[in-house]
Amino acid sequence: MSAQLLSANHGAAMAATLAGRANREGRGFCGGVYPITPSTECMEFLCLQEIEKGRVVRTESEHSAMGVCIGASASGARAFTATSSNGLAYMAENCMAAANLRLPVVLAVANRTLGPPWNLWADHGDALMLRDLGLLQFFCADNQEVFDTVLCAFRLAEDPEVMMPAMVCMDGFILSHSVTMTEISDQEQVDRFLPLTTIPHQLGHTPHTLGQIEVPHQTEMHRQQHHAAMLGVPRVYEGVQDSFEAIFGRRPADAVQAYRADDAETLIVSMGTIGATVERAVTMLRAQGHRVGALRVRMFRPLPVAAIRKSFAGKKRIAVIDRNISLGLGGILWGEVRALAEPGTVVQNYLAGIGGGDVRPEHIVSVLADLLPRQVAGLPEMVEAV
Amino acid sequence: MNHQSHAGNTGQAHTNVLPVGLSFPLEVRVHGRGGQGGVTCAKLIATLYSQMGLQVQTFGDYGSERSGAPVQAYTRVDRVAIANRNKVYRADHLIVLDRSLMGPQVLSGAAPGALLLLNTGAGLDSYAGRYTNCRLGTVDATAIAREHGIGSNAVVIVNTTILGAYARLLGVPLAVLETAYASLGLSDDLAAAQHAYDAVQVRDVIRPAGDAPTTSVLSAEMPAVGPLTGHNVDCPPTLMTGAWSSQTPSYQDHDAPCNLACPAGNDVVGFVQALGRDGAEAALAILLRTQPLPSVCGRVCPAPCMQSCNRKSFDGAVNIRSLERWIADHSDLRPVQQAAERRRRIAVVGGGPAGLSAAYQLALHGHGVAIYEAGPALGGVLRSGIPAFRLPREALQRDLDRILALDIDVHCNSRLGSDDLRRLGDDYDATIVCIGFGPAFGLSIPGAELDGVEQGLAFLERVKCGPVSLQGQVLVVGGGNTAIDCARSALRCGATAVKLVYRRGREDMPAIDEEIEDAESEGVRLALYRQPVAFAGNGNVSSALLAEVEAGAPDASGRRRPVVTQRASSVTCDKVLLALGQGQDMDLLPSDWEIRKDRAWRGDQAEQTWFAGDCASGDGTVTHAIGNGRRVALAVLRSLNGEAGELPSGATGTVAPAQIRFSHFEVTPPHRDKQISPSARRVSFEESNLGLSGPEEAGRCFSCGHCTQCDTCLLYCPDGVIRRSGDGYRIDVNYCKGCGMCVAECPRSAMEMHEKTT
Repeated sequence: MSAQLLSANHGAAMAATLAGRANREGRGFCGGVYPITPSTECMEFLCLQEIEKGRVVRTESEHSAMGVCIGASASGARAFTATSSNGLAYMAENCMAAANLRLPVVLAVANRTLGPPWNLWADHGDALMLRDLGLLQFFCADNQEVFDTVLCAFRLAEDPEVMMPAMVCMDGFILSHSVTMTEISDQEQVDRFLPLTTIPHQLGHTPHTLGQIEVPHQTEMHRQQHHAAMLGVPRVYEGVQDSFEAIFGRRPADAVQAYRADDAETLIVSMGTIGATVERAVTMLRAQGHRVGALRVRMFRPLPVAAIRKSFAGKKRIAVIDRNISLGLGGILWGEVRALAEPGTVVQNYLAGIGGGDVRPEHIVSVLADLLPRQVAGLPEMVEAV
Repeated sequence: MNHQSHAGNTGQAHTNVLPVGLSFPLEVRVHGRGGQGGVTCAKLIATLYSQMGLQVQTFGDYGSERSGAPVQAYTRVDRVAIANRNKVYRADHLIVLDRSLMGPQVLSGAAPGALLLLNTGAGLDSYAGRYTNCRLGTVDATAIAREHGIGSNAVVIVNTTILGAYARLLGVPLAVLETAYASLGLSDDLAAAQHAYDAVQVRDVIRPAGDAPTTSVLSAEMPAVGPLTGHNVDCPPTLMTGAWSSQTPSYQDHDAPCNLACPAGNDVVGFVQALGRDGAEAALAILLRTQPLPSVCGRVCPAPCMQSCNRKSFDGAVNIRSLERWIADHSDLRPVQQAAERRRRIAVVGGGPAGLSAAYQLALHGHGVAIYEAGPALGGVLRSGIPAFRLPREALQRDLDRILALDIDVHCNSRLGSDDLRRLGDDYDATIVCIGFGPAFGLSIPGAELDGVEQGLAFLERVKCGPVSLQGQVLVVGGGNTAIDCARSALRCGATAVKLVYRRGREDMPAIDEEIEDAESEGVRLALYRQPVAFAGNGNVSSALLAEVEAGAPDASGRRRPVVTQRASSVTCDKVLLALGQGQDMDLLPSDWEIRKDRAWRGDQAEQTWFAGDCASGDGTVTHAIGNGRRVALAVLRSLNGEAGELPSGATGTVAPAQIRFSHFEVTPPHRDKQISPSARRVSFEESNLGLSGPEEAGRCFSCGHCTQCDTCLLYCPDGVIRRSGDGYRIDVNYCKGCGMCVAECPRSAMEMHEKTT
């Protein structure tokens, strides 16, 4: 194990490399790559790595990059790619294919605003556009978490009970390009953590077709299986956490990460790096005597409903901060979690950092100032805090 | 040097030299311009603190980081894990890589007592009364980085330099930087950091509540947010981006290496480009400024221009010599004689290349010239010493006709003595002596007097004058062009076999490489590291004793000195041709005269008699003689006009191969000369090299250091501020942000960046 000053993009590529090499006794590794800001550095770094069994294929589009991953994964290789924003939109059709074919491809997404007009900066709208396709979705808050989550994503995606693609998200630039000390695990440890990739429906010597036409009752069955597998993920993930901790000596973050939430009257809920800034604001607010806590939703698909409901219990006010907007409804995270609060709780939505705006601890303090006077239960209004 | 480095491994032991006076969390903001390395600077700072065992977070303010635009980068440092991920608004340390950025935006949010490190060429004294609530450091990191060669040819990168000054301000030893730089692969820049460490000027806080805006300005405050659904019409303000820039590009010719290498002083890049652009006539007009013998030099010049051609490092030198020949063979342009302000009469003694060049320049400038030639016709060694298969008589005659169309009197068969030379002073304003080399060197060895042992130059002159018949084995001694010419001529005169004996290696032979190749392909055999020590024969030479030669220690010229050994073997031969070079002979010089710097002096009295060409310089090539003849002629005119000193060189710096953007050019092999087959040419004195079949080779010229209006600058300018204008371009300085991309991308180094003077 060594600590290195790394950007999260490079950390993700480093984790993918270690995971890829861990499959050297199996069918090896394959990455399909196509550059787009701000995930390009991840792919560049991957292209420079030496992987004894496998290769990185430079393609002509994101659609094909995922196509390469699908082919590789279907034949038993460990597959990885990365993209952002409209690149992810272009990749979407094949993301759907990877999900419906239940192939454990891992996809790193450096979240970026969808255009046009073109905007390079962070917004979760790109990943959330693919919310319902049947991929696991994780949103990370720091560099170590990106590295660890990519490793966990392979383990989880390839778990026989799960067997589906996983998306690991990091806020573009704010996280993808930030450099901090990152613990890089040894190959030997990763080898122990990640068993050889085994795909039950792996292509073999007998030719057969993947994803041919199916009739309604078959689709019904496949959706039911896929949904059931999704619902089991929070339980499987706990096992992955235990195994990770036993091997690497550090515990990866929970599916929902609470901070000083137990005795809080007010809870601030968010995803991604805003969650890290919220923790800093909570520290400041606690010092001023406010009974405030934070909840960061790391696993967004499947949504860990039970864990969130448990955290919401007994809270008077809940602020949900979204770095995204479902036009015509409001923040997507808010839309999903508001039903999980107890009757009588104010669940207020705030939009912050949409299009990559800088979210500062001061913004969180102003959220609290807005929230505290709101006592009336009922359908909350969406406001624009920042 | 790549400053966009990957993060390095810094997991090594911590350097526990925590500077005093730091409070945490510590926030650092770097202000720079895209391309200056601000992000790497912030990363180096993070590495520095990380080595001290502190937690760090560093990031750039991405999105607007195009070259030259103001950009920011941040580093956050703490004793505990850093949670928040927002930008830095209340910087404890401000590092400004470009002083033109200084303003309220930069100082915004800086706490009283903040550290402000400024890269500026102006000294600390120029900031009297300013930034008084900051601890101020100033250093000219740009000058230091430039001195240490850090950055591209267009933009200096100052990040690694200014960190030396930062270390000094922190009070940490420079050694702390060593590990940080090594981890990012920047160790080469440590010397510059050391330089800045020593050079930084520091001023402590003067007034804690001084003039700098602190917490209540601009970006330190949160901006007001309008309703999300409101539609704002946000017209971009008029922004003169040119106000950002600290450097500006300009179009500046630089010296092409071919031009500098040409001993004749030809504008090589000029005539090659003119040929490609405007044709042979335009090219010849440029050549004729310096070169009266293009038909000759286009055939027999050793072409140092091709040796120095930058295209040699890419896909082969431009075939310049043959382009010169093509131009001379395809244009009948005659030079136009200028009118002299005051017409002089000048005598030139000797009608070889130096004399012809001197006479040509003088006549071209409108002066009256008389040439006194000892031989029956003009041309010197060109007429008598270079065989017809290399230089046909008609080619020389074309050049002579062009020269003699000017106002030049020619007196052939006029061998002058020292009295004549003295007398010329009465009849002419000045005299230039260009009598070439003296007699050829012989060999003082047994048998050298035997029949059949002949001077190569005498043999070549005989061959030029009429048919000469040889038979049997011919031995040629020497390694220069005369030796090669003798060997090839001997074959054409009927020799059964020709062996060339040379005391050094193939690579040491002074002859033109292609000529050696041609000789070998015609059947001449080389006997290298051999030297004759005796000839034997009964009346006529019949054998030579060749000693083996070893390469000794290098001499002054860098060539290894030949050491003759005792090992020798005998070879049969029927003819020996000696081509061992020539000495200088100054019988012509009156006994009370001496030559100092190309001029005759009698005691302290300078005579109006000058010397040029091989008799003065001994360089031994046609092209050197032409250049020397021209320079001396011009010096004579300046002297007659009472002007002192030498002409300024006007050198603007040579374009090295590294300054050519090879990626802008396609690999295109050189166009080769058409040659008659070796078997056909070894029996004929017809010209063996037929030259190029067209002028297309000119298109391969990079035009080093000379703008071709290729539009690369215009296409690459990210701000679109370069427009075509007349024969060149105009740069709209109001909107040029000084990124230097045009200069960096210029394929041929015809642009420069300049510091803007404020």
